[in-house]
Amino acid sequence: MRRVEHVMGFPVSVRVDDEGFPEAAVDGLFVWLHEVDARFSPFRPDSEVSRLDRGEVSVPSAALREVLDLCEEYRVATGGAFDVRLPGRGLDPCAVVKGWSVQKGAELLAAAGARHFCLNAGGDVVAAGGPWRVGVRHPEHADQLCTVLDLTDRAVATSARYERGDHIIDGRTGRPSTGLLSLTVVAPTLTEADTVATAAFAMGAEGVAWAAARENCEVFAVDAGRRVLRSAGFPGERAAAQPTG
Amino acid sequence: MKRAIPVLVLSVAGLIPVWRYAPSQDTGSSSTATEAAAPASTPSASSSGGTTSTVVSGSTIDTEKGPVQVEVTFEGDKIASVRMLQQPDHPQTTAAVPQLIEETLQAQSADIDTVSGATITSDGYKESLQAAIDARG
Repeated sequence: MRRVEHVMGFPVSVRVDDEGFPEAAVDGLFVWLHEVDARFSPFRPDSEVSRLDRGEVSVPSAALREVLDLCEEYRVATGGAFDVRLPGRGLDPCAVVKGWSVQKGAELLAAAGARHFCLNAGGDVVAAGGPWRVGVRHPEHADQLCTVLDLTDRAVATSARYERGDHIIDGRTGRPSTGLLSLTVVAPTLTEADTVATAAFAMGAEGVAWAAARENCEVFAVDAGRRVLRSAGFPGERAAAQPTG
Repeated sequence: MKRAIPVLVLSVAGLIPVWRYAPSQDTGSSSTATEAAAPASTPSASSSGGTTSTVVSGSTIDTEKGPVQVEVTFEGDKIASVRMLQQPDHPQTTAAVPQLIEETLQAQSADIDTVSGATITSDGYKESLQAAIDARG
């Protein structure tokens, strides 16, 4: 079965290949994602994140605590390049919330009995079972790929500037991070893949080695000079076919 | 595994001669260095109450990343604290350098199940490769 719905401003595509998998479990996935949007969106004045930021909540819920702890862990690990509390801006944990919530959504599907499914949340992918063939979008050609992965029980996330412009800020300088065109991370969970990809992109060129040095993470990056740098264990394949333009 | 923690290895390497050096309980008397490298400095000791505090500097060890030297303070025969006197000022001591492979950027098309890319907006989705895959069913 397949379903596409839009949550948090991006499309979520679900494909479950298990025979007879209940539609109700997929409904549950979207209920969860809508709940996350309501609770953790910095764009909703009544969300827990907004209320915490205004000082109206003194003790965050366990779930928000988990998100904020992850944010802090990555802020420290990147020497401040990844920071959800940038000066002059409100608290914005979106970079962690997305991967974290979609990973939890994938665990809901698994708990309902799904073994072979592919969950794509606006370009971040959880591949359960497999192998699934996952293309990585070419940073300059929307209809082309720059590599293709065969993934089984892994997650992959990509950070880049081509969809929403210079939206990733290097917290050390307060300026948009421009050292890379795109950076893709493969990891055991989407929580890790998505956060490492965003954090490494914020670091710029040095983020490539930083991400590759993390346990269980493999990285594929295109730098501003259109050079590909990938870790030795990155599960991508070179094009057997026609290179174009 | 490609990930090592060199700083830990270096610290341990620096400690080996110190650990092998057994400071005498009789402070101020002649200390005997055992088989490994002798300590670089004479232990300085002070006595307060019943326990004896002894500070020992390990010998300087040259590693690939630079010289390493530690100083260990013993309370009696127990290590109370360890301090780095010299440590390599090198970023590689905090993270192993992963092997990165450089390639040329290719553009390709292929038969795939899904696409990873920068977060696409719901507006942009209609034109996307993922939308085409979803529509194909």
